[in-house]
Amino acid sequence: MMKKGANAPFRIALYGMDSRASKNMEMYLKGPCHGAAVVVGENEADIDLIDADYAKAKDILEARRTANPSRPIILMSLQQLQIDNTFFIKKPVTVTQMAEILAKIKASTASRQKIPDDEKPTTPLPKPATVKTVEQSSPKMPPKVAIDVYAKKATDVKHIDEQERQKTAKHQSAMQLNEGGFTAFLGTVSNIDFEDSAQLLTASYDPRQAYLGYVQSAYKTAKQQARVLQLNSIWKSLLIFPESQEIWLDADDKQLRAFAGITLNKGTASNMALTLANTALTVNRALDKFQDIDAFMWKLAIWTSKGRFPMGLDIQRPVFLKRWPNFTRLVITPDALRMAALLVEAPRTPLEVATVLNVKPQYVFVFISACHTLGLLGQIEPQETPVATPEQTTQAKTPKNKGLLSKILGKLRGA
Amino acid sequence: MSQYKIIFTGPVGAGKTTAINAISDVPPIKTDAAASDMTKNRKASTTVAMDYGVMNLTGGEKIHLYGTPGQERFDFMWDILTVGGIGLILLIDNTRADPFQDMKFFLDAFGKFINDTSVAIGVTQMDLSCKPTIDDYHIQLQSFGLKPPVFAVDAREKNDVSLLVQALLYSLDPGLVG
Repeated sequence: MMKKGANAPFRIALYGMDSRASKNMEMYLKGPCHGAAVVVGENEADIDLIDADYAKAKDILEARRTANPSRPIILMSLQQLQIDNTFFIKKPVTVTQMAEILAKIKASTASRQKIPDDEKPTTPLPKPATVKTVEQSSPKMPPKVAIDVYAKKATDVKHIDEQERQKTAKHQSAMQLNEGGFTAFLGTVSNIDFEDSAQLLTASYDPRQAYLGYVQSAYKTAKQQARVLQLNSIWKSLLIFPESQEIWLDADDKQLRAFAGITLNKGTASNMALTLANTALTVNRALDKFQDIDAFMWKLAIWTSKGRFPMGLDIQRPVFLKRWPNFTRLVITPDALRMAALLVEAPRTPLEVATVLNVKPQYVFVFISACHTLGLLGQIEPQETPVATPEQTTQAKTPKNKGLLSKILGKLRGA
Repeated sequence: MSQYKIIFTGPVGAGKTTAINAISDVPPIKTDAAASDMTKNRKASTTVAMDYGVMNLTGGEKIHLYGTPGQERFDFMWDILTVGGIGLILLIDNTRADPFQDMKFFLDAFGKFINDTSVAIGVTQMDLSCKPTIDDYHIQLQSFGLKPPVFAVDAREKNDVSLLVQALLYSLDPGLVG
């Protein structure tokens, strides 16, 4: 269970421990942990294990990160710690905890050793705009991983994160677009004839030929590797924090919308690179420039879609929502709440959604694009029995007074 | 004329009074008293009966907004309160020690009402404590067989409360047009 499959055990270097504690740890790894790891000197190690309760643990951490930024670091402490780009084990150390962390490191290491190729959409597309993971080889990049300076102590009363409150963009209330606002926000796409395959084709877009595709790919990689990464492009650098599910970008929405709408060619794509985060950018970063990753991707998706359908989804097959989007923190496109309610209830094809709710196909497409980007959308396989028919009522539960409910909605929407 | 109402519930300090205030057309009638029991740790005063607000609609109709008292000792009132209710707004305070336990408690307590109508969940204080995440709530809700709207909500923001109520209404009938 604790072994790395057929591979050799992990080699771990110990820091912040006296000789007695080191010996104990060595025996613990050998005995209770069934030899999942062996203790070695720092030059031969795969992993650094630091006793974070040691007085100079912070200095050791910084020194280890500088000396070998790509090597995984495990921190052990009596206090609950959350420090970017480290793994944590709470004392007293248990075999289960140790096994879980080593398994995480194994998975993370495996993902770092290859460029992810599982980012392909469900239909054949041109080769993805692969994001390269650049380690220390780039001369322009800083030699070490950023150190996030805050650590959370575990307490019985829940921790209040004062920094979180200052991340104003993350907690901003939603912008709700009406039809006029939608057009101004996204630009126009003419109505689509679903019987005309030529029009159907032009109504679709390939996320991977846009900034959206690169950001999706980069976020996936950051999550797999469990560390802060930086997406560099011809535009501004984007920092991705997988642990807190945040991004940091020094740009306003207008600039982002402009870049999102550009189709990236091969030349542009070659300038894209994913690197370890730049220390200068991650330390002292402005808190108001943090954004929730979902809210960011949602915006990016609707600005890329501009009312078009994302390639990779079959337009003829019914789709459904796995759950409601967190609408209070997202840009709300026209009729998005109605579509969410309908698609949470039962799968329908995009055309049925447009018909049943009497909304424009562009609104359906842009909503589906955004939900698809966030992984909220499912699609029924051809052999599966669907689904709601257009004739079926849209009512989940018979409301007592439909007229009254419409009046309440009108009031809430400021009609 | 029938009395239609939307019920706001949730634990002490989740923002029920504030949420009603955000969308009510009249200053809400509050029945707060100085907290003298366990709630004192969370806020200086608490609602001991119920909060009440009104939305005035076109044609002279009204929708009544009722907030349940947060303390469990008043739970005998909840059944009475829900009669004629259109649906339930459940507010959960994300800074509390175990918000999932709170959610479970209120979903169980209002189970029949939710089954007959619908529920929308607002998670408050996420700017103070961002975990559990909205995704975490959805995962917990799977065990209830529910897929309700779950939104991060600042109860002081009219837009947030409005969207939560809109989602509740669309859950009842996606075909509604406002």
